[in-house]
Amino acid sequence: MRDKAFASYHPIILFVYFTVTVFITMFTMHPVLLGISFVGSIVFCGTLIGVKELFKSLAYSVPILIIIALTNPLFSHNGETILFFLNDNPVTAEAICYGVAIAVMIISMYYWFKCYHAVMTSDKFVFLFGRFLPKLALLLSMTLGFVPKLKKRYREINEAQKAMGIYTSKSYVDRIRSKVRVMSILLTWSLENSVDTADSMRARGYGLKGRSSYAIYRWHRQDTVMACIAFALSAGVIWLMFSGYGDYNFYPTLAKIDVSALAFTLYAGLFILMFLSTVIEIKENLLWRYLRSKI
Amino acid sequence: MAILTLENLTFTYPNAITCALDNINLSIERGEFVVLCGESGCGKSTLLRLLKKQLQPKGNKSGKVLYDGVEIENLDERTSVTAIGFVMQNPDNQIVTDKVWHELAFGLESLGEDSDEIRRRVAEISGFFGIGDWYHKKTCELSGGQKQLLNLASIMVMQPQILVLDEPTSQLDPIAASDFIATLRKINEELGMTIVLVEHRLEEVFPLAHKVAVMNKANVLMVDTPKNIGKRLLQEDSGHKMLLGLPSAVRIYQSLKADGECPLSVREGREFLQGYKNTYPGFDVQDEDYSNRKKAIEISEGFFRYERDTPDVLNGLNLTVYENEILCILGGNGAGKTTTLKIMSGTRRLYRGKLRIWDKKIKEYSGNSLYRRNISCLPQNPQILFVKNTLKDDLMEVTKLMGYDKAQSQQKIQAIAKELEIEHLLDSHPFDLSGGEQQKSAFAKLLLTEPKIILLDEPTKGIDAYSKKILADILYRLKAQGMTIVIVTHDVEFAAEHADRCGMFFDGQIVSLCNPVDFFSSNNYYTTAASRISRGQYKNAVTVDMVVQLCEKNGRVNGNG
Amino acid sequence: MDKRLITISQPITQAEPSHTDKDKSKPKKNIPWRTIITLAVYLVVIPIVIFIGVKLFADRKYNIISIAIALLACIPFFIGFEKGKAGARELVVIAVLTAISVLGRLIFAPIPGFKPVTAIAIITGIACGMQAGFMTGALSAIVSNIFYGQGPWTPFQMFVWGFIGLLAGLISLRGKRPNWILLIIIGIIGGVLFSMLMDIWTVINMDGTWNWSRYVVAITSSLPFMAVYAISNVVFLLLLTKPFLEKLNRLKTKYGIFDQA
Repeated sequence: MRDKAFASYHPIILFVYFTVTVFITMFTMHPVLLGISFVGSIVFCGTLIGVKELFKSLAYSVPILIIIALTNPLFSHNGETILFFLNDNPVTAEAICYGVAIAVMIISMYYWFKCYHAVMTSDKFVFLFGRFLPKLALLLSMTLGFVPKLKKRYREINEAQKAMGIYTSKSYVDRIRSKVRVMSILLTWSLENSVDTADSMRARGYGLKGRSSYAIYRWHRQDTVMACIAFALSAGVIWLMFSGYGDYNFYPTLAKIDVSALAFTLYAGLFILMFLSTVIEIKENLLWRYLRSKI
Repeated sequence: MAILTLENLTFTYPNAITCALDNINLSIERGEFVVLCGESGCGKSTLLRLLKKQLQPKGNKSGKVLYDGVEIENLDERTSVTAIGFVMQNPDNQIVTDKVWHELAFGLESLGEDSDEIRRRVAEISGFFGIGDWYHKKTCELSGGQKQLLNLASIMVMQPQILVLDEPTSQLDPIAASDFIATLRKINEELGMTIVLVEHRLEEVFPLAHKVAVMNKANVLMVDTPKNIGKRLLQEDSGHKMLLGLPSAVRIYQSLKADGECPLSVREGREFLQGYKNTYPGFDVQDEDYSNRKKAIEISEGFFRYERDTPDVLNGLNLTVYENEILCILGGNGAGKTTTLKIMSGTRRLYRGKLRIWDKKIKEYSGNSLYRRNISCLPQNPQILFVKNTLKDDLMEVTKLMGYDKAQSQQKIQAIAKELEIEHLLDSHPFDLSGGEQQKSAFAKLLLTEPKIILLDEPTKGIDAYSKKILADILYRLKAQGMTIVIVTHDVEFAAEHADRCGMFFDGQIVSLCNPVDFFSSNNYYTTAASRISRGQYKNAVTVDMVVQLCEKNGRVNGNG
Repeated sequence: MDKRLITISQPITQAEPSHTDKDKSKPKKNIPWRTIITLAVYLVVIPIVIFIGVKLFADRKYNIISIAIALLACIPFFIGFEKGKAGARELVVIAVLTAISVLGRLIFAPIPGFKPVTAIAIITGIACGMQAGFMTGALSAIVSNIFYGQGPWTPFQMFVWGFIGLLAGLISLRGKRPNWILLIIIGIIGGVLFSMLMDIWTVINMDGTWNWSRYVVAITSSLPFMAVYAISNVVFLLLLTKPFLEKLNRLKTKYGIFDQA
C-alpha cells in the first residue's frame, strides 16, 4: 500500500504539520481561529475518509458539541448577559458562547487526530522514533508485529479449548475466567516461542555496536517546498498569535473581533495553513482523474 | 581448504549425563550442499547451533569448529554474524518486525549500514527471490511458505558464506516446501552457496545433496554421497530409524535388497523398476461395504463462511464419516479442510445445512455433552492444549472435569500414560518436551475425555518418519478399540498407508472420496511418490510396501527371482 | 562504458584478511548517562517548560503544558532503555507482554473500561523490574492507540501506565508473588489514580485552567468508570498474577534474562 497525496510527504513534515495544527487549536480561544480549525479539520477528514464516514462520525460529535455548550454555564457563572437563573445561579450568554468555543476546540482536535490516524501509518510512526531512539523503534515494530500474530493465536487457542469442553457456561464469571485462561496459555506459548525470535535477532547481529535505522522514507523536493511553505506560515501565524492577535476574551462580555490588517493576515495565514492539506489532497485526486481521462 | 571443519567436537548440556555430541569430525567444502539427517533427538540441532557463535547453547564443549581455518569463537562479531546464515524451523517465530521491508533490513541495520546501502541490497535480494511485490506488506499477512522465504531472504541479504538450515520446511505444506527447496537449489547452483541442511522430509532433498551425513545418537554414522548412503545405510545398520525417512525410490531399492546404483528421484525410480517384470500387473481393490455401518458424523449441504462479507469456505459440503473408520481429508491450502474439522467439533456452526453426530443434531448436545465421551479434537499445534506447569497437572485437569475422584484420576492417568509411553514425562513441563512427545501428551489429554470420535488436524506436521510410525500405531490401536478417526492432512504418504478412505477437498466441497488405493492411483499429480514411480509399470501400487511386494512377486527381468 | 576505465587491479600484498577480533578490549569510559539525563529532565527541563508556560502563555494553557510534561517525564526512561543493556530476549519478552495487554483491551472490548493493561504493567514490573514495567505500560499506551487512534490522551496514558509499572517494580519482591490483600489494594489504587489523573486532563483541556467544580463533576460522572477500572484491575491482578509470574519466572531462570538491574 503506497501513500498518495498528502500522506506521501515525508513523515517529519506530516508530524510537524499535525503538531502545529493541534497546538494552535489547543492554544487559541479566538472564535475565528477556532472556526478555521474546525472547518479545516472536518473538511480534511472528509477528503481522507470519505463523505459517508464523515457524516457517520458527525452524528456522534455534534450532540457532544451541544452538550458541552449547554452544560458550561453550570460550571461558569461569569459574564454579564444573564439569560435566566437556574437554582439561584445565573446562566449567561457568555458562558454558553464559551462552551461552544470549548466544544469546537475539542471537536477540531478530535478530527485533527482522526486525520493524523489516517495519514500517519504505523510505519511512519516507527520511522519517527527510529531517528532518535532506534531501539525503541524496533521494540515498537516488534510489538506491532506481535499483536496480529497473537490475535491469531488467541483464536486458535480459544477454539481448541472450546473443543476440550472447558468453561462453556454462559455466566459472566465463567466467560471472564475462560478468557483469562486463554490469555494465560497465549502467554506461555508466546514466551516459549519468543526465544526463537530472540535467537533470530541475535543470529542477524542484534546487539552489535552502532545499529542503524533504515529510513524507508526519502526526502523529496516536494518535501523541501512543503517544509518552506509550512514553516513560513506557521512561524507567521504563531508570531501573530503571541503578539496578541490570537487573544480573545469571553468574559465579562464577548470581546469584539479584531478586523485590523494584521489580524486579517493572521486569519488568512491560518486558513492557508489549515487548508493546505485539503488542497493537496483534492488537487492530487483531480490530477489523477485528469490524467486518466487523457489515456 | 574446507570452509567449515568440525574437529573432535563433543558437547554436553548442563546437568545431562550423556553427551549430546560425541567426538564429531566433519568437513564441508565451499559450494557443497550437505544434508544432515538422523532421528529426532540425535543431536542434529545441537550440532547446527554450535556452528553459529550467537546461537551456541550453554554447556560443556570440547573440540573445534573452524570457519575458514579460524575457530568460530575467535571470529570477530561482524564476521560471525554475516558469514554464517542460520534459518530455523518455525517460520512465524523467526520474524521479528511487522513489515516485510523492515524484516529484510533488520540484519543490515544491526551491521550499521546506511539507508542507501540497505536500499540497494534489499532491492537486489527482492529481485533474486521475486518478493518485490510483498515489500510493503505486513509480515502477518504472508502464508507460512512466504514467511519462510522471507526469513531466507533476510538472511541472504547479509551475504553469508554458508547457509545453515534447521528443518526449514517441516512446518510448511508440501507445495510450499517444494518451492522452498527449489529456492535452495537455485541458491546453491547459481550463487555457489555452501548449504548445510537438516531435514527429515528427504524425498526432494536427497537427490539435490552432494553429501549426506547420517547421524546416530550423538555420532555421525556415515558421510557419503546420497547414492552410496542409499546403498550402505541398510547394510551397516538395518535398524536405523532414518531408513523410514528416506525417499521412496531408495526405500524400494533397499527393501528389494537390489544392487547396482541406488535410485534417488522418482525418475530414477521408474528406470529402476524397468528392471522388473510385470507378469502380475498390480492390485485389485474392492470397496468396503458401508451400508450397515453407523454414521458417526453426517454433514449434508453444509455452507459456512467466517464473516458476513467473505466468500463461502464450505460450499454445499456433503460428507459422511462412518463408525470405526480412519478417514483422511486431503487438499490444498485454504480449501476448507481445517474449517470442516472446526464444524465437526462444534466450535463453528454452519449457516446453512445439517450436521448430525450419531444421528443427532449438533444443537441437541447441550453444554459439554459433545466433548465428554464423544468428540475430541487434536489441534495442529498440540502446545495450545497445555495450561499447567507439569504434564500431570494438565492431565489431572481433564480427569477432574470428567468427574473422577483423586484415586480414579491417578489410575486413569497412569493407564493412559503407560499406553502412550509417556510415564517418564509426567513431571516435566509440557513445553520442555520434544514435538513428538508433546503430541503424545496432547493425545493423552484427549483420550482422558474417553472420546468415540477423534479429529486430528495435520498430525504429521513437523515430526519425523519414525514418530509418524508411532502415531500410526496409536491410531490403529484406537481404531481397534472402536474409535472413529478423522484426519486432515497434507501428508499423502501417511494417508495412503493408513487411511480407510481418503477424500479430496476442493473449493469448499469433497470432490472425490474413496479407498486410498483407488484414490491415489487415479490421481496423477496429487499422489504418493511410490505411485508416481510405479505408474506405467504396475497398477494400483500406491505405497512403497505395495511396490516392493509386486516387484518381489514379479522378479527381475533377466534375473532368477 | 569506456574500456579505458577498467584496469587490472593491483596484486594483493597484504596477508589474508583475518576475521579475528582485533578491538576486543577497548577501555570504555563509564559515564552514568541515564542518571544525568533523568536528573536533567526532572530538575531542569520540566521546570523550564512550566516557567515558559506560566510566563509566555500567561498561565492559561495548562493543557499544552501538561502534554509536554507528560511526554518529557517519559523521555528519561526511553533513553535509559535505549542506552541500557536489554538484549534480544528482554526485548522480545517486553514486546510479547505489551502485545498481550493491547490484545487484552480488544478481547475485553465488550465491557467498556475493562482492560488488563494496568494489571499487566504491574505484573511485568514485579517480575522483570522497573524498566520493563515502565516500558510495557508506556508502550501499551502507544501501541493500543496506534490501533484505536491517537489523541491528546496518549502521553498521559503513557505516563500513567508506565509509572504504575515502574512503581510495581520499585516496591516489588522481584518475582515473588505479593499477597492477595496487597494485590487488591494495588488494583484499587491503580484504578482510582488512573481515573482521577485522566479527569484532571479533561478539566484542564476544557477550561485551559484549573476549575474545581468541573473536576468534581468530572470525577462524579466518571465514577462508574473508576469503579470498572478498579474492579478490572483487581480481577485481572487476582487472576493473572499467579500464572503470569510463574511463566515469567520460569523463563527468567531458564534463560537468565532480566537478572541485571
